[in-house]
Amino acid sequence: MASSATATATFTTLLLSSSFAAQCNISNHHRQSSSLFPAPKTPPLSIFKPLSLKLTPSFLLPKTSTFSSIPKSSESDAAVVDVELEPGNAEPESQFQSELEVEPEPAQVVEASKEEPKREEIFAVVMIGGRQYIVFPGRYLYTQRLKGANVDDKIVLNKVLLVGTKTTTYIGKPVVTNAAVHAVVEEQGLNPKVVVFKYKKKKNYRRNIGHRQPNTRIRITGITGYQDYPAVTLNS
Amino acid sequence: MNKKEILKLAKGFRGRAKNCIRIARERVEKALQYSYRDRRNKKRDMRSLWIQRINAGTRQHGVNYGNFMHGLMKENIQLNRKVLSEISMHEPYSFKALVDISRSAFPGNKHVVLPTRKVNVSSINV
Repeated sequence: MASSATATATFTTLLLSSSFAAQCNISNHHRQSSSLFPAPKTPPLSIFKPLSLKLTPSFLLPKTSTFSSIPKSSESDAAVVDVELEPGNAEPESQFQSELEVEPEPAQVVEASKEEPKREEIFAVVMIGGRQYIVFPGRYLYTQRLKGANVDDKIVLNKVLLVGTKTTTYIGKPVVTNAAVHAVVEEQGLNPKVVVFKYKKKKNYRRNIGHRQPNTRIRITGITGYQDYPAVTLNS
Repeated sequence: MNKKEILKLAKGFRGRAKNCIRIARERVEKALQYSYRDRRNKKRDMRSLWIQRINAGTRQHGVNYGNFMHGLMKENIQLNRKVLSEISMHEPYSFKALVDISRSAFPGNKHVVLPTRKVNVSSINV
């Protein structure tokens, strides 16, 4: 039985292939043999963005490693709508569900045995460039421009303020000792242009300036080093 | 800016302000001034929103915002309000752990009123 994975723009269910059940995924990178569908557009999954001004992020719970191939942007104005998979099936992480401001597309979720490699269910709060971000392995992030970092550099972030897994939380005071978040620099770019227009009325003063702030896109690869820290075990 | 750029920025404006250059120019200038001002206001508004959310989250556990933050400061936990509000929304167990830490560090809540459960109106037979 061949998996009828047609790379169409719509979400369709995969037929069962021999080794694993079909799943429905959003991905624009084909990584596994059990073909994933390229999404109609590449929706960056954004999570944990403030509600009032941007779309609420939705936490995608794929059953496969599309986690690694789904870009995620936080702290950026990429307000592209993402499609949320039904989190009801395998791996419902009750702690990680988030609300959607935009209606989620009804994803046809097919029961699936999880594909390897499974994404670890862990998150961390890390401080970069004076700002704090919640990071997940496999997602990307826009931060302030990191000077001296070239593309494809491996980066270790040491200021980890909190690490959370499904069962325990490690709360740093202020930092979780020896915890490290590994990331790879993907791109050094510029933010979208903002127009800085200054105007004083009746004084004939107007200045029109455009500004693009440099940024760096990094992709989080893993979170390590937190195991020996005194933890708070949650009753989940 | 020339006319084409002004009219491009004037999309969605009301009435003649989106079509006629003389009126559009004024409105666009005003819009740009507002955006300059509001980029600064946005930071204030967001912080206020985060504080409201943290307040709501902690009051569910019987602690109010002021005492919660005081306890966190005492414990030298340096999570900022943005992250705290996200945790309170999406990671309830972690947030409860934070509230417990804060409460043990600063147990100042003697008279906090927990939110009362709302009764479902439709279930009342009148």
